[in-house]
Amino acid sequence: MRAHEDPRTYLAKGVAVGYLSLLVLIPMAALLNNAFSHGLGAFWDAATSTESLDAMKLTVTCSLFAAAFNAVAGTATAYVLVRDRFPGRGVLNAIIDLPFALPTVVAGVTFYTLYGPHSPFHVNITGTWVGITVAIMFVTLPFSVRAVQPVLESLTVDAEDAAATLGASSARVFRTVTLPAILPSLLTGTGLAFARALGEYGSVVFISNNLPYRSEVSSSYVYSLVSQGNDPGAAAVALFLLVGALAVLIASNVVARRLALRRG
Amino acid sequence: MRRSSLVLRIVVIGYVGALLALPLGFVFQQAFSHGWAQLWAALHDHAMDLAIILTAKVAILAVPLNVLFGVGASLWIVRHPSKVSRVLDVVIDVPLALSPIIVGLVLELAYAQNGWFGSAFAAMGLRVMFSYPAIVLASVFVSLPLVSRQVIPLLREIGDHQEQTAATLGAKPTRIFFTITLRSIAWAAAYGVTLTLARVIGEYGAVLIVSGNIALITQTLTLNIGANFESFNSYQGFVGALLLALVSVLVLTVIGVSRHRLERKRHGSFV
Repeated sequence: MRAHEDPRTYLAKGVAVGYLSLLVLIPMAALLNNAFSHGLGAFWDAATSTESLDAMKLTVTCSLFAAAFNAVAGTATAYVLVRDRFPGRGVLNAIIDLPFALPTVVAGVTFYTLYGPHSPFHVNITGTWVGITVAIMFVTLPFSVRAVQPVLESLTVDAEDAAATLGASSARVFRTVTLPAILPSLLTGTGLAFARALGEYGSVVFISNNLPYRSEVSSSYVYSLVSQGNDPGAAAVALFLLVGALAVLIASNVVARRLALRRG
Repeated sequence: MRRSSLVLRIVVIGYVGALLALPLGFVFQQAFSHGWAQLWAALHDHAMDLAIILTAKVAILAVPLNVLFGVGASLWIVRHPSKVSRVLDVVIDVPLALSPIIVGLVLELAYAQNGWFGSAFAAMGLRVMFSYPAIVLASVFVSLPLVSRQVIPLLREIGDHQEQTAATLGAKPTRIFFTITLRSIAWAAAYGVTLTLARVIGEYGAVLIVSGNIALITQTLTLNIGANFESFNSYQGFVGALLLALVSVLVLTVIGVSRHRLERKRHGSFV
């Protein structure tokens, strides 16, 4: 820190702290305050009501399936993007980011029309876990691909080539050389995808039909509580969901760091 | 070429095509399904046009706010590290772990008439919730870390040798910022700004709660699409979706170009 700083720097820092407080810190404090406004018992009852738990089970199941499937599909995609050469590779690389660019509500209404009651393919998966999982797979694919891709790029092909020259099959080369190198980033990317999936709303809400106890995801349940004016209930379920997402993010980062350290 | 890698290539193209390209193409197909004349008429739908104007008004305020904050916070975190800046570094990423619905909920709890701030603002005759300021707040919240996450790693990587040299030679801080710092982070910032714009224009869940979703008044384009769809006017919904799909194609192009430039810059800096 310099001995005397420009007063304008202090002003800028003050503005930044104020901005962040008004926007994030104070509203988050309001969430805590509301969640426990009727005491710990009321918080627990709201967070673990049957409807809340059913929504939580569905959300976690679909998010797990989507994140796990995309861990495999995303690795394959990153592998093809880095190691393979073919016309159109640039377009394939660019379109991976589509879920970051296309609004979730557009994805939501499109999936509903593609795989709903008037599906051009005569496939109706609305109101099922499959439909919810497909929507989440759309949203989370770039997380896995973009986590693995840079590691594959920096990984020299020497070790893979050496293993192949010594007679290892390509599956064995992947398992013993490539996979251990990409595993830490793959884990971080999958954790991020899973955390994002737990809170997904716009892309899921149309295809899920939102039937309580059956096809209602947690974010949708929170929304229904807000619409009913039940702020403490909504805050309790939201806090539960938020702590879950943070736990997943922290756990995947810790495990990934351990794995990376063990490799040296 | 080995057969196994050809198979993998086809499987990957098939998966990405079915999951990402097909829905994008389907939006275009649906919007053009009734012909040009119908499309032209649907583009002049009154409610949708008002929604487009509102979305533009929100983006015009929310994007510059977050760019200023994002660049400023990145400079603080990397160039003037302190205890406060380390807390800032963590808090700034919080929106990434939050469901948009939770973002809407926490803003409502703080800014509604009976909320923490709402009563104070109401006393001043200001209504935040269910109006333009609330939509801006929600948009800024969800897109908060998108600029800093791009700028911070680049600032760390390039170091401050050039800035130090310029300072030694007597350059003023503002001049150093504009001629050196800003120029070296330009592509990272462009990447972040594009992601911010996409997120602000495309936000749904958070805006749904804080805006009240009042047609003709607080309905953004994404809310208008959802509302059209729910009232079985899916064609009109897909016309709105077409506009957002066109924006997203533009966004993908800018993202692709700026990432390419960033990679070139990174490889260059090792020499």
